[in-house]
This record gives sequence, structure tokens and C-alpha cells, in this order.
Amino acid sequence: MSSEVYILRPGVVNLPPEHIEVHDGETLNITVIVMPGVSADIPIRVDVCGTGASVTLNGLYLTDGNDKVSIVTDIRHTVGGSTSSQLFNGVAAGESRFNFFGKILIAQDAQKIEAYQTNRNILLSEKALIDTKPQLEIYADDVKCSHGATVGQLNADEQFYMRSRGIPEVEAKVLQIISFLSPVLAGIEDEKLRASLSEEVEQAVRKMSE
Amino acid sequence: MANDILLEIKDLHAGIGDKEILKGVNLTIRKGEIHAVMGPNGAGKSTLSAVLTGKPMYEVTSGSITFMGKDLLAMSPEERSWAGIFMSFQYPVEIPGVTITNFMKTAINSKREALGLEPMKAGDFLKLLKEKMAFVKMRPEFAKREVNVGFSGGEKKRNEIFQMAMLEPQFAILDETDSGLDVDALKIVADGVNALHTDETSAIIITHYQKLLEYVAPDVVHVLKAGRIVTTGGSELIDAIEKNGFDQFQ
Repeated sequence: MSSEVYILRPGVVNLPPEHIEVHDGETLNITVIVMPGVSADIPIRVDVCGTGASVTLNGLYLTDGNDKVSIVTDIRHTVGGSTSSQLFNGVAAGESRFNFFGKILIAQDAQKIEAYQTNRNILLSEKALIDTKPQLEIYADDVKCSHGATVGQLNADEQFYMRSRGIPEVEAKVLQIISFLSPVLAGIEDEKLRASLSEEVEQAVRKMSE
Repeated sequence: MANDILLEIKDLHAGIGDKEILKGVNLTIRKGEIHAVMGPNGAGKSTLSAVLTGKPMYEVTSGSITFMGKDLLAMSPEERSWAGIFMSFQYPVEIPGVTITNFMKTAINSKREALGLEPMKAGDFLKLLKEKMAFVKMRPEFAKREVNVGFSGGEKKRNEIFQMAMLEPQFAILDETDSGLDVDALKIVADGVNALHTDETSAIIITHYQKLLEYVAPDVVHVLKAGRIVTTGGSELIDAIEKNGFDQFQ
């Protein structure tokens, strides 16, 4: 029903709503994209208060320089029979700082719920900082929930393999990062927007990798 | 004749950190020749292939490697690839999210860019890709698969030879290419290596076993032990190793 993309660029910060309610049978699909050069706190609370409601909340961030970005999600399933899925992937370079606090709450007796959350992070520099805190609060017993968070660096074996095939170091990094971010971009339904954003993200990634 | 020499390794000492693994390797490979380097575990075989391809972490402490008259050790891994060096990895790396098509397109166009050429036309590239996949009997759907992700051991090695066919190297390093292959996969790989071999190209087969050498006949065989080449000969050495192992060479 609703598919929205919020893009935060330097000077043009388009923040998603802080509080959204999703009712019976409604679908919500939100993607948040944070480009380098932006510092922002991004709180998103979604109340999933209807049966058959489905929420997809995705995001990608690229932080560089002294950027400070914080994403706080708070998904509350108040009645049974609904689903939510969150995927946030990002890359921190320079001396930037990124926080992810993701909470899933499943209210008492809100059964038959599927709620998933993933946050994957790549550090491109020694001085960048990432803090990720997934949190599950479940007060029902017939639910499927999972969360996962990772922080790592680009895989050196992959890089050497690509370079040995003639792919320059920067290009190898760009390929790795783009493939890491692409699941988030793939969630954008508008094809034209997806293509132009992919291009914009690739250019930013190339700049961060040099 | 000196200008027939493709690769020349002189008194090469190399290792990781403070640990010296290669302790004075000398090796000359001429155009058109296939060399085999055989040796027991820990002889320095993997270090030799790592140093030839410029793998980070490996350090050359003395000696030289000259490839087509140029100082190989001064070149980055990608520059070595552009110059015509290719290694079939012992353990091909999985690259999640990157398809074989995208991987090879980036590789080929990076080389073309380095040589001052325009990117290959999309249609020409796909034609080449199809042709080379058929050459190593890879099913067409592999073009869309992520590089080596979920491949069997045989499929990974076939993918290595496919990449070799795409990049048409002057000098191929086959690092333990026969390990973990059944006879059918081994034959496909060997057929590929033989078909790509010309009077102008050379290869070095680095191996513990004689398996691949039953299908790809080397011109020269070296025995590498404790970081040095202790014996050099012809194919008779392969039989001697099969019968009596590596202990006979000191």
C-alpha cells in the first residue's frame, strides 16, 4: 500500500516520520538512506496494531569524516498475526560514528507474529566507531523472532582474489561494499528511483574507498 | 636465447614476518614451457605462488623475480594480472553478492582501461563469457551465480580455469589445482589447461601429487624441499617421486 524512501543528503535531510501506526491488513515499506556528510538522529517507532499488517523497515548508511548518525527503531507488535522485517546495512569511514538501537516488542498474547531484525556494519577506518544494540522484548509464546548484528572489516581474501584477476584495489572495495549494501537497495520498489539511488550510492562509496 | 625467457627467479628469499620459508630459489621458465614444482607439505610451495602473485603479508627479503624483462616484485597484484599472470587458487575465494558476470566484466574492463582501451561492448562480452563457459563445461546459469558461493570443489576449480580462459594469461600458476578433484573434474581442468597452452604461453604447476601431471605433461620438473629447489629433471622425476616419495631428495 505504501512504499516510501527517505533520503538524507548534506543540506537536504528528509527524515522519516517518528511515529507510524499500521492497522489491519496494511503494508508499510520504508527505506532510509543516509549519505555521507550528514549527522542526524533518526528515531522511528512503528506500532503494528492490526492483524495481517506487514512492516518492512530497511536502511543503509554511509558515514565519513566527522558524521554522527544514530538510528533508533522501535517496532511494537500490539496484536497477533502480523509481521515485521528490518534490515540496516552500513559503512563507516573516517572518524565517523554510527549507532543502531533496534527494539522489537511483542505485547502480551500477541501470538503468530514474525519479527526479524538485522544490522550489519563495515568499518573502513580504524578511527570510525560503530555501536549496535539489538533488543527483543517478547511477552507471547507463539512467535518467530530473530535479531542479528555484525561489525567487521572488508574481507582481505576476497580483495586479493579480485586484485589477482586485475581488479584494482579501490574497485575491489567498491564491489564488496555495493554487494553488501544491495539487499537494502533491492527493497526499493520504484525501479527508476532504485536505479538512480544505486548510482548515487556507488559514487559515494567510490569516494569513501579512495 | 635470453629473450625467450618469460620468468626468471634469482636467489629468492621470502617468508611471513620473521619466518623465512623460501631460502634461495632459482628458476627460469621460457616461453612455451610447462614446469612442475613438486614437494612435500611445508616445502614452500604456497609461499612461492603467493610471492609470484603479490599476496599481502608475504615478504621478499632478497633476490629478484623478472617477468618479461620487468621487475615483478615492484608490481601490485592487479598490475601482475594486467601483465599476463594468472593463478588458479588452491582455495578459490567465495565472494557473496558479486555474480560471475559482474566479476569478469569488471576484471576484463579494468585490464582494458589499464591498457588504454575502451570497455568491451556488452554483446561481445556476453558472447565471450558463453563461449568460455562452454569450454570448461560450466552450465550457463552459473553466469548469474555469486562467485564460488555454494560451489562444489570441482565447480570451484572449473571456475578458476574458466577465468583463466577469459583472461588469456601469458603465464599461469596452477596452485594445487588437482587437490580435491575427482577424475572427471580433473580431466576437464587438464583439457582446459592443455587447450590454453601455446608456444607463447607458459605454466607452472605447483603440486603435492602427480595426479594432474598424468594429464598435463610438464617439460621440466623441480623438487622443492625446505625452501630450496633440490633437484631438476624431466618427467622421470614424477615416477621416482611416486615410487619412493620425497625423502630420496636432499
